[in-house]
Amino acid sequence: MQIMLNDSIVQLTTHSTVAELLQLQQLATTGLAVAVNNNVIAKGHWSEYQLQHLDNVQLFHIVTGG
Amino acid sequence: MLRIADKTFNSRLLLGSGKFASPQLMQQAVAASGCELVTLALKRLQLDKPQDDLLSPLRAMNVQLLPNTSGAKTAKEAVFAAELAREALQTPWLKLEIHPDARYLMPDPIETLLAAEQLVKLGFVVLPYCSADPVLCKRLEQVGCAAVMPLGAAIGSNQGLQTRAMLEIIIEQATVPVIIDAGIGAPSHAAAAMELGAAAVLVNTAIASSDNPVAMAHAFALAVEAGHSAFNAGLAHHSRQAIASSPFTDFVAAL
Repeated sequence: MQIMLNDSIVQLTTHSTVAELLQLQQLATTGLAVAVNNNVIAKGHWSEYQLQHLDNVQLFHIVTGG
Repeated sequence: MLRIADKTFNSRLLLGSGKFASPQLMQQAVAASGCELVTLALKRLQLDKPQDDLLSPLRAMNVQLLPNTSGAKTAKEAVFAAELAREALQTPWLKLEIHPDARYLMPDPIETLLAAEQLVKLGFVVLPYCSADPVLCKRLEQVGCAAVMPLGAAIGSNQGLQTRAMLEIIIEQATVPVIIDAGIGAPSHAAAAMELGAAAVLVNTAIASSDNPVAMAHAFALAVEAGHSAFNAGLAHHSRQAIASSPFTDFVAAL
């Protein structure tokens, strides 16, 4: 299964959840937000939300700003 | 006490976290300023770069984090950014910021009002950055914004209260806190804003780009306190002509 992750192609085993994807990428979850196909996925749903083939996953994080 | 939505704050100085030489310096300036509201921004994650932990030090200082929607050019983008920010920080507090023009960074009034209305309905505590337009500020209030944040001058310009005459009208008419945001370049500007009766001010560039941001943050804190105390004490009226402070005529008569 293949997804887009912030403009990079990532190969995944089937039935990965958002939480599993973040673990695979070794990403800290503090200050992180996830959108799949331009829909924001609530943090509480990351461990249930199943990614599908060709999903467009975008990761955002909190940075400094005025 | 400064009351915004369901929270109260001791400090009337808000800080932007951008433009500091390092996250540590930003945290030290936040501490020196005594501020209890700090803005942050949102960006796409760069997967090949290490993640900074910005948030733990700020959380340890017990400040209310205020993510902004900077980068959004339309109401739709701002709502998307807001929803991301809410998940990232687990707070409904939001600084709504929509400025499509890269040269002057003037906030788009129409997109801002549209976004504000949607975001309030989605449960956000909306603090909209806006032009110093009294009618717009009233409309933002009417759609349920928790405060209004009219600009003093262009972001980062340090030009002070260029919009002073409009700010006076906004402050007179507002029933939500008026937080003057953008263009405040010196503590004297911040004091002037508070003397007008503003509820608070937001400062970023003037502190972050100072030679000594920690000292400057403290200077701003003093200025905000001075201006607010002066406003409460009752400022003296202007007069076109002199009004003597000493009994000069009596002294001359004695000679």
